[in-house]
Parts: sequence; structure tokens; C-alpha cells
Amino acid sequence: MTAPARLSTTDIPNGRTASRPVPSLATRAGDLLASEWTKFRSVRSTYWTLLVALVTPIGFSALVATAFAGAPASAGPPPDPLLPEVLSLEYAVIAVSVLGVLAFSAEYSTGLIRTTFTAAPRRRAVLAAKAAVYGAVTLAAGELVAFASFGVSQAILSGHHQGVSLSGPGVPGAVLAAGILLCVCTLLGVALGSIIRHTAGGIVATVAVIVLPSILGLLPAPWSGRVGRFTLLDAARQVTALHPAANLFSPGWSLLVLLAWPAAALAAAAILITRRDA
Amino acid sequence: MIEVDGLTKRFGPVTAVDGLSFTVRPGHVTGFLGPNGAGKTTTMRVILGLDAPTSGRATVGGRRYDGLIRPLREVGSLLDATALHGGRTAWTHLLSIAQSNGIASKRVSEVLRLTGLEGVARRRVKGFSLGMKQRLGIAAALLGDPPVLMFDEPVNGLDPEGIHWIRGFFKTLAAEGRTVLVSSHLMSEMAQTADHLVIIGHGRLLADLPTAELIENSARRDVLLRSPRAAELAGLIAARGGAVTPQDDGALVVTGLDAAAIGDLAAAHGIAVHALVPRQASLEDAYLDLTEESTDYHGGTVTR
Repeated sequence: MTAPARLSTTDIPNGRTASRPVPSLATRAGDLLASEWTKFRSVRSTYWTLLVALVTPIGFSALVATAFAGAPASAGPPPDPLLPEVLSLEYAVIAVSVLGVLAFSAEYSTGLIRTTFTAAPRRRAVLAAKAAVYGAVTLAAGELVAFASFGVSQAILSGHHQGVSLSGPGVPGAVLAAGILLCVCTLLGVALGSIIRHTAGGIVATVAVIVLPSILGLLPAPWSGRVGRFTLLDAARQVTALHPAANLFSPGWSLLVLLAWPAAALAAAAILITRRDA
Repeated sequence: MIEVDGLTKRFGPVTAVDGLSFTVRPGHVTGFLGPNGAGKTTTMRVILGLDAPTSGRATVGGRRYDGLIRPLREVGSLLDATALHGGRTAWTHLLSIAQSNGIASKRVSEVLRLTGLEGVARRRVKGFSLGMKQRLGIAAALLGDPPVLMFDEPVNGLDPEGIHWIRGFFKTLAAEGRTVLVSSHLMSEMAQTADHLVIIGHGRLLADLPTAELIENSARRDVLLRSPRAAELAGLIAARGGAVTPQDDGALVVTGLDAAAIGDLAAAHGIAVHALVPRQASLEDAYLDLTEESTDYHGGTVTR
């Protein structure tokens, strides 16, 4: 490979002492964010999962809008032009869940987590930095998808006089709220990936936490609403719908429910991450 | 300086490290030796704050690892060279580690050059040989230019040239006044690298001494003897109090008499001697003696 003589360490600066100014908390937080950002952008899975998360909902919303637009007039317009079925963000849930889970599971399965924790022994700070990077990117991606899906589907529907305008009452807020779903699912994945430490297990757990409670929503009324109002996907629909369902929480409370899921998972991850050996 | 004090680590019913205490001083390459499963890696993981000790403590420069701010500037370590994300390049792998401790990217280029990896910096580590991964791990350990360095089995997977390089590398690091702890299960490897040894077995300290002292202290010294009148000479040696063990190939191994005494004895009786070789237990033998004892040792620890 290289001649040993070239590999001498004589040019390593030496003689440093322990008396070094302690960097500020902000500096250290910035260091960790920069590190996690480098990790995030330097693996292919990031780009694949984000590509799927971006393309699938936009494609599906075009299909759904076309289906509504092409339906006979007697079928009427879509009941709510902002329903998740129209914006189709739910089709990105699995992709971003995988993205979130991999944040930790990829490091645990390769053993890289030990390098990470030796470089940054404050493990909760690592969790926070990963959550910030993954959360910020998927929030941006989610909003991009929400507005793009809205634009595409409404362009198709308005050709058939069934669309709504982005300037309509409550519309911008509803589209913005719709975009949160991807970030919520990613953060849930980040938390469960750090708890389960295993990629397949983490993905199964994350998708189960997102989807399984919705099955309880199939209970007969009034239980469907009483239980369903606490589920992640029903909360996501409620914050998006232009005409919120009467049997669920108000959109404001539903937004809290939506955010409570990843918040609770991240809190559990923060407790467990320092309690277990890496 | 690394200090391990009364360290015990249990995993369920298994005691991996059992009341282990030792100090690793700067300016030396200290070999951390023990058979597989002796508790070397666990000890290193506790020092690095990855595993919580069941009892006892480990400090680096007087402080617990998890209390260090920007720890890579205090301690460089390599536990498992294959613990990499294969999709990253050597550059991005090192950059992400450097950034976490506020280390400039210029230093990433430096350590890549120091370890001879600059030519493959932009290649995905998936395609790296084990030797290249070891170099990459050593590069990561050097990022913070730390005064304390720890390497777990760093020689595994290196080719002879790489082994030669790494020995010189450790010695240079120690000569610069750094504390260097290198684990291995191979005594032969440590004999040529370490000038101080910490030997453990079953999680307990067996020896903590300079490498040279281990050889001197070794009880096994004997003389290999070949003679055409071996049987006759054996009788004479036995009469003088020496113990003779005949070998399959006709040679004799003598203990209790040194080579000079045997030579004089043979000359006095006019017996030709074809070979007279004073033998000292190799470091490997001394090490095996120690670790064999550890298997049926019940009680405290053997030091010195």
C-alpha cells in the first residue's frame, strides 16, 4: 500500500495539555448536527427512501384526482378535496418510517453506534441531533409533497370544476398540517429504531404503531371515534380535512395527538438510550 | 493515563471482568493480553463509557469517559475496524466523526495521509480489505490527536508490511509521550510491540509488569543437549543433581544444571558434545504458563 517511512507520525502535533477552553453548548450542538448531517447525506438509503416518499404521493394524488374527475357526474365531487386520500401522503408513510428507523438501526447493526457514542458520550444529545436532522428534512419533504400533491390534484380537479383554491378559507393551514405526517412518522421511526436497534424489527414496530391502532377505528360507533381520535392516522386526517369529522377531536387537539406519538416515543428512547450498554 | 480500579462487569450470570485494577502509563506501549474471552474488549468498552460497570470504575486522565467534552481530543480508540457503514466513503466516515468533536476537515486529510489511505479516500468502504479497514479505524482514532490511544486487536487482518508499520506506529506514538494500550490474544505479537504488559484471564489480573521482567521471571530455563554418548552423560548429570528429560529425537533437555556445568562435566569424562543450547522460556511460553494457571486458579490475583 504505502511505504512505512511515509506513515511516520512525526508530523502529528504534540504536547497539548488538558487546559483547553470548553466549547459552548451551542457549539457542541452545532458539531453534533453537522456530524449527523454528514452521515445523513452520505448514504444511498437516504436518497432512495426520500425519492419514494416524494414521488409516490404525488403520483397517487394525480391518479386519485383523475379518478374523481373522470367519475360520472352523478357520483359527485370528492367529499373533501383535502382528504388524505386525495393528497395521498399516507403512501409515503412506510418509506419515511424506514428512513427514520435506519438512523439508529443501521448504526447498531454495523456496530458504528459504538464509534458514535465514543465520539459523543452524551447519548441523548446524539438522539436529539439525529431527530433534528431527520425531522427537519422530512418536514421539508412532507410540505413539498403536500403542496405538490395539492397542486397536481387540484389542477386536475379544477379542470372539472371540482377543485378548491389554495387561497380558499382554511386551505393553506390544512395543506401545511398534511405535510407534518411524514416528519411525525420519521421521528417515530428514529425513536423506535433506537429502542429496538434492529432494522427489520424497527420497521415492523413503527408501521405497527402507525397502522394497528387504526384498526380499532373499525369498531362500531361510537367506539370507532372514541378510540380512533387517539390514533395517529385519524389525527392526521382530522388536521388535514377541510370538513373535520364530528366524532373525532377538533383539528387543534388532533394536531396535539399527532405530535404526541413521536414525542412519547422519543421520550422513551431518551430514557432507554442511557440505560443500556451500547 | 488510564486507570482501572476494582472493575467488575457482569452480563447476567456471566462475570466478564472480575475486580480488575491496573494503570496504563504514558510513554509506553502497554500490551493488554489475555486469551479470547478473558475480558479485554469488555474492559475497553467500560473505559470508553460504552458499557456501564457493575462495580468499580475506569478513568482516563482522572476523569470518567462520559464526562469528557470532545472526548476524541482526549482518547482515540479502535474497537472494531469492521464497524462501518459500507455505503460511506472513507472521507465522509471520518468527516462525520471529526465534525462531532469540532475537528477541522483538514485533519481528516492528514490522518488519511498518515495511514496511507489518501488514495482511496473517496471510495466506499464496502470494498475495503480488512487491512484497509484497520487503517481507517486507526485514522479515526488519530483524528483528535489524543494523548491516550486504545486499540483492540489492531493487528488482525494486516499483511506483514502492515504489521511492521503498525508496530513502528505504536512505538512512535508512545515515544511522543502518549499512553498507548493495545490488546491482543497473541503474545508473540505483543513481545515485539509492547514494553509493558497487563495480562488478564477470566476477567482477573494475572500480571502487570515490564515485558522483559516477564521473561526473566519465567521459571522455565533449561539446556538442550546432544551427544553421541547421551545415555552415559545423562547418568552423570543425574548424579550431579540435574534432571534429564530425553527427547524423541535423542536429545536431552536438562534442568538444574547450567550449560557451563554440563560442558565441564562432559569434558572431564571425555564425552563429545554436539549441541549445548541454553534455552529460556519464550514470552509465549511464559504467557501460556500464566494463562494456564488462570484456568484453575481460585482466589485472589497473581501479580508479579
